[in-house]
Amino acid sequence: MSDRKLFKTVDTKIWILAVIMIGVIIVLTFVLPGNFLTLRNFQSMAYQFPEFGLLALAMTIAMITGGIDLSVIATANLTGIIAAMIMTNYLKAENAGDPAAISVVVLAIFAALIAAAICGLLNGVLISLVGVPPILATLGTMIFYSGIGMAITTGIGVVGFPDSFLEIGAGKIYLFPVPLLIFTGCALVISFILNKTSFGLKLYLVGANPTASLFSGINNRIVIVNTYMITGLLAGVSSMIMISRFNSAKVGYGDTYLLQAILVAVLGGIDPYGGYGKVSGVVMGIIILQVLQNAFTLFGFTPYAKGFIWGLMLILVMIINFGTSRYQERSKILRMTDQEVAD
Amino acid sequence: MLDKLLKKHETYLFLIIIAYAVIVTSVNRSFMTFENLFDILRSGAGMGILAMGVLVALLSGGIDVSFTAVAISGGYIAVRVIMATGVDNLFVAFVISCSIGIFLGLINGLIISYFKLPTLIATLGTLNVFHGALTTFVGTESVNARQMPSCFVHFGSAKIITLANDQGSIYGLSVFVIPLIAVIVMTWFILRFTMLGRGIYAIGSNRESAKRAGFNITALQLFVYSYVGFLAGIMGVVFVSEVRWVNPVTLIGTELTVIAAVVIGGTKLTGGSGTILGTLLGVAIVTVLYNTLVLLGLSAAWNNFFVGIIIIISIGITSYRNKIKNRKSLSFKT
Repeated sequence: MSDRKLFKTVDTKIWILAVIMIGVIIVLTFVLPGNFLTLRNFQSMAYQFPEFGLLALAMTIAMITGGIDLSVIATANLTGIIAAMIMTNYLKAENAGDPAAISVVVLAIFAALIAAAICGLLNGVLISLVGVPPILATLGTMIFYSGIGMAITTGIGVVGFPDSFLEIGAGKIYLFPVPLLIFTGCALVISFILNKTSFGLKLYLVGANPTASLFSGINNRIVIVNTYMITGLLAGVSSMIMISRFNSAKVGYGDTYLLQAILVAVLGGIDPYGGYGKVSGVVMGIIILQVLQNAFTLFGFTPYAKGFIWGLMLILVMIINFGTSRYQERSKILRMTDQEVAD
Repeated sequence: MLDKLLKKHETYLFLIIIAYAVIVTSVNRSFMTFENLFDILRSGAGMGILAMGVLVALLSGGIDVSFTAVAISGGYIAVRVIMATGVDNLFVAFVISCSIGIFLGLINGLIISYFKLPTLIATLGTLNVFHGALTTFVGTESVNARQMPSCFVHFGSAKIITLANDQGSIYGLSVFVIPLIAVIVMTWFILRFTMLGRGIYAIGSNRESAKRAGFNITALQLFVYSYVGFLAGIMGVVFVSEVRWVNPVTLIGTELTVIAAVVIGGTKLTGGSGTILGTLLGVAIVTVLYNTLVLLGLSAAWNNFFVGIIIIISIGITSYRNKIKNRKSLSFKT
């Protein structure tokens, strides 16, 4: 009985998001005739959103455990710089000759993802073993990771990648851009992990009540360390798309994504206090944000005006969530008292 | 006596500063001069003022990251108003900047206390809202040194003490230490001697008990965030006078460095624990590192690398001690 109720509330949140998403698309189709609802515009959006979408997924997982990961962008930049340096150092001599280039590209991506996992591991260890609050731990590592990136590049962009690497950001398989396919794959994997594996269940439990999960025999530490490693890996994947699209790697790319990633997670129904949230909601949040972003660009808004709107949206969404959860609680109490009276 | 000192976080911070000073001085003689010291004080004054606000916010169990947007809004609008009206008075500048600061801080406080939102995410939102509003509705035009009203220029170059170095060029202690000291004393007084200060510590360490004890949580939170805004307003004027050039997009992005400094100082993010002395030492470490790595022959690109390491080690030690203590008292909060 209570299970069914739980599913019902999840569904209403997802339904509301779906309605908002479709509503926004319909409104924009009429407001921007001939500009918005075109295959080209949708394709260009499909190239743009995966990089921050992956960061938003990373943020989502961290927030489900009741934490937050402020270091996602610093991790992405650092791993991007590592991949870029491997590629530019080894490929200068051969001038990006094809057969050898592929192996270097694969090596670079592999090294970058390992670095990303190590970044996540450090976050996880600081949070679970040392006991640093997630905000602080990831604030410290954010400054540290971007500091490493800054120290090895002195702030200059690393440029010039082989063509095979640029395919990640610019390629297309049939009608579908490669970034979109990577994003879809990652979202499906994360959704599978959260919904179908015991690790996913533990992750929600740790987020909902760490003390209870500890006393029910869950090793909170391992769950937290794994969570932040996945977060780091997602940031690493995002960075591969990002540096491939820019054809360069540099400290400070994607700084605005931090606010957007948190906004999307909250918009997608993730509870910042932990224990609650669905990948499908976050994906819809990402689409809504990207569609609005696209419309604002077509309207010609400045980046500051966009920041203004995102900030306002973030606060409004949280206020609305506060209102609805309070309403739900009140109606729940009313229902319970009604039942008592009936009994 | 020694035992007591060794238990204190501040002692270690002090030792770090001394060790660093010894290393730098052995490499480069120009570190241990009054000229360098005064220079560090001048450039650290703004951060010190902001850090006092952050300390109060952290003590109350919250966090505020919007203060850079508040500071630049206050400073920039003050400059523009003074340029437009021609009232060339520093006092007026402070009044304008601080009123804007208090107003924006009140907005933060209202949102946080009324809707009970997570403070980090809420103020991250208002950071963008305040900054977006400033750049969209007030403008993005920068004001350069020649247009800058003379009251700011005088304030920026005024000295309390002037000395001359070996080459005969004159340097001195900037007048910025006056607002810095005033803010420190004011914060110290509030935290140490008033019911308000007790309340801030109380809601930070245990909100529920503070409520039962009769503290008005909404009023306290409103005070905390408007106080942060007020200090940001003061810092806005100091910052504008320091660089003598103002552009509404500067300063944004430095908020995490200030928070890092406060955290290095041993203030707990979970609230209720933290000292003014620790905060000042934290600010000193960050400012000294940012300004003097060059003297060691390292470029400024290494700044964040070292600051990051210090933060991780410093918060690591504080949190681990706390964790051990919690485990001993059978508290399993993570």
